[in-house]
Amino acid sequence: MTTLVRPPETAAPKEPRRRGVTERQRPLWLLTPGGLLLVLIVLIPLAVALWISLIDLDQYSLRRWVEAPFIGLDNFVESFSSGLLNSIWISVSFAVLSTIATVPIGIAAALVTQNKYKGRALVRAVFLIPYVLPSFVVATVWRTMLQPDGVVNAWLSRVGIEGGLWLTGPRSYWALILVEIWAAWPFIYLMALAALQSVDNEVHEASAVDGAPWWPKLRRVILPYLRGPVLLACLLATLNHINNFTLPFVLFGAPAPEDVNVMPMLVYVTSFQSLRFGLSAAMAVLSLVLIAIPLFVYLRAVRLDVHDEGGRR
Amino acid sequence: MMANKLTALAGTAVLALALAACGGGDEGGGEGGDGKTLNVLIAANTQYPDEFAAWQKDISTKFKAQTGAEVKFETFASANDELTKIQTSVVSGSGPDVYAVGTTFTPTAYSTGAFVKLGDEEWKKVGGKEKFTPATLGISGPDEQNQVGIPWVSRPFVMAYNTEMLQAAGIDKPATTWDELAQQAKQMTKGDQYGLAIAYKDNFDPWKFVWGMSVQAGNPLVDGKTARLQDPTVQKAYDTYFGWLTRDKVVDPAAVGWTNPQAVAAFAKGKTGYFMLTTPTAINSLEQGAVKGKWKFAVLPTVPPGATSRPTNGVEAASILSGDNLLIADYSKNKDLAFEYVKLVTDQDTQLDYYKKFGNLPANAAALQTLASDQQLAPVTEAAKKSVATPFTGAWGDIQLALTNVAVQSLPDLGKGSISTQQIDARIADAQKSAQTALDRAK
Repeated sequence: MTTLVRPPETAAPKEPRRRGVTERQRPLWLLTPGGLLLVLIVLIPLAVALWISLIDLDQYSLRRWVEAPFIGLDNFVESFSSGLLNSIWISVSFAVLSTIATVPIGIAAALVTQNKYKGRALVRAVFLIPYVLPSFVVATVWRTMLQPDGVVNAWLSRVGIEGGLWLTGPRSYWALILVEIWAAWPFIYLMALAALQSVDNEVHEASAVDGAPWWPKLRRVILPYLRGPVLLACLLATLNHINNFTLPFVLFGAPAPEDVNVMPMLVYVTSFQSLRFGLSAAMAVLSLVLIAIPLFVYLRAVRLDVHDEGGRR
Repeated sequence: MMANKLTALAGTAVLALALAACGGGDEGGGEGGDGKTLNVLIAANTQYPDEFAAWQKDISTKFKAQTGAEVKFETFASANDELTKIQTSVVSGSGPDVYAVGTTFTPTAYSTGAFVKLGDEEWKKVGGKEKFTPATLGISGPDEQNQVGIPWVSRPFVMAYNTEMLQAAGIDKPATTWDELAQQAKQMTKGDQYGLAIAYKDNFDPWKFVWGMSVQAGNPLVDGKTARLQDPTVQKAYDTYFGWLTRDKVVDPAAVGWTNPQAVAAFAKGKTGYFMLTTPTAINSLEQGAVKGKWKFAVLPTVPPGATSRPTNGVEAASILSGDNLLIADYSKNKDLAFEYVKLVTDQDTQLDYYKKFGNLPANAAALQTLASDQQLAPVTEAAKKSVATPFTGAWGDIQLALTNVAVQSLPDLGKGSISTQQIDARIADAQKSAQTALDRAK
């Protein structure tokens, strides 16, 4: 009853709410399909992986996996004595080195194809070849080339260098990095090229009017535009390197030489050759956590926001 | 509120998925002969894909005529693919009805407990146990009462030798002891010719040598629940195997990077005396090479290295028991059809036809007997009879991996041309550790 006689009061707060309508009543339900997919594809498997990492699941208990004994953190403890830390170190160092090496190559390639010239389209297409080739093909071709009596050693011996073994021993690590660089630099190139295209014409004109020589112009004017996208590319590339399984698997086979026993290989062998699903799940979970920590710190530190960077004038 | 709704939605989705998973997969359901489909998982044949397709069609037609049911073949590219398929099928309780499984993988498959155990009645359904070559039954199960694998084809390992090179070196017959082999290899090594072709980088070959030499010296590697890798016999085996390259120098140094097909290719060029560890499936490759018409098979040496005769507890193991077994899934709703299929593909005619097309020896005793007169094949059939099963334990996969790993981690030293006993011992110690861990877990 009372409410009926006090309509003006309810109308009054409507004014400030009006601005809020768009914010508060955003149609969040539209996110449902995406959210559902996220739950199905990411969260549930993650939860299952977590569960498996806590049970003693192997070939003997696989059939009745629901009844596999719960062993708490035993799998995690065993992970550390099964060479996981060494594998993480190999993976991370390999990934970081590969990224560091691909950045200058990618940016240089993007700069080379920025200005118009005859045949630019062809050059751009050629640059993408390593990127579009399936990892399996890349690894197979390189494996053939890096044989002890393969073409790489044949070329090296022509210039008087003793080639040796590329696919076993300490050098396999560098072989892996070399092939990864060969296959992955076009990703940095693509991202850098996209960023270069977002540089406005006025910027180029202004630099020209000021008579800026090419190097200071590149360093002080153009490269700052690339910072955001290239940092993002570095992040994605590093994660891709860490997760690359096909390349080491096809290049070296399983069991892999100790120097290239990267994380995915270790998890694979534990899971699918030793059939220790619980242990390998624990390894996968640990690696995820160990990588997520620095990643989180890094993301906070650089505050990646491509739009902000690209939009800055 | 929103969170609750989302949780409810997610829950429904999970339930829906779980139900779908439980209900799926049974293509052959229902009663009666016609209209059923038998699913068979089998290795893809990349060497003869067309012939393989034709064989599948032929079998399907015959099976349809006999039973009224269809056979649907599903192929896998590698042992790992197969393992993944077995895992998912075991977990979900649905999938192929019949699996063709490699012999050394049979213990692992057995350990999942997902396959039909064969009693007298089951054996009778496939034509009786006696229809198979006795040696092929060696890896069907841990003992007579617990067999799951029905022998299908056998691929015993032998060595191939270059008749001209042996003759030129004044050798009248291939070696029967490992020491004799090294001696002959030295006689043939000169200039660009080498005595042996060995696939040091292969992911399977190394353990077969080591296992063979150890068993011949009386060490089966697994003794109940104890791994016996840290043993003088194993050490001698690795020492001999690596020594061909580092000490005797009878192997092309490039062999450090070879897998088995590369070793075949090297032998096919006609510049190598022996190609160790091959099977009749390599015949075509050899006949297409420079070595065409100038090579023969021989049984691998069966006297352990460092000896002139086998010790009393040594076993005359000419080869690992190698080939494929057929396993019938426990969850199959078409078990009778599955037995019918197994009977069909293990019958004499089908087995001989399969041999002619693909070079896999019959597991069927009568079919193998008909090949006895084939001169080229005589050493292979002999090796088939002298094949010895690798230990039947679910841990074998790990032990095999550990043995191979010793070779893999030694490759850099082999590349440098020398490897010390201490290095070998340290790696064997690692292998012993992981083998024992695997055996401790075995149930």
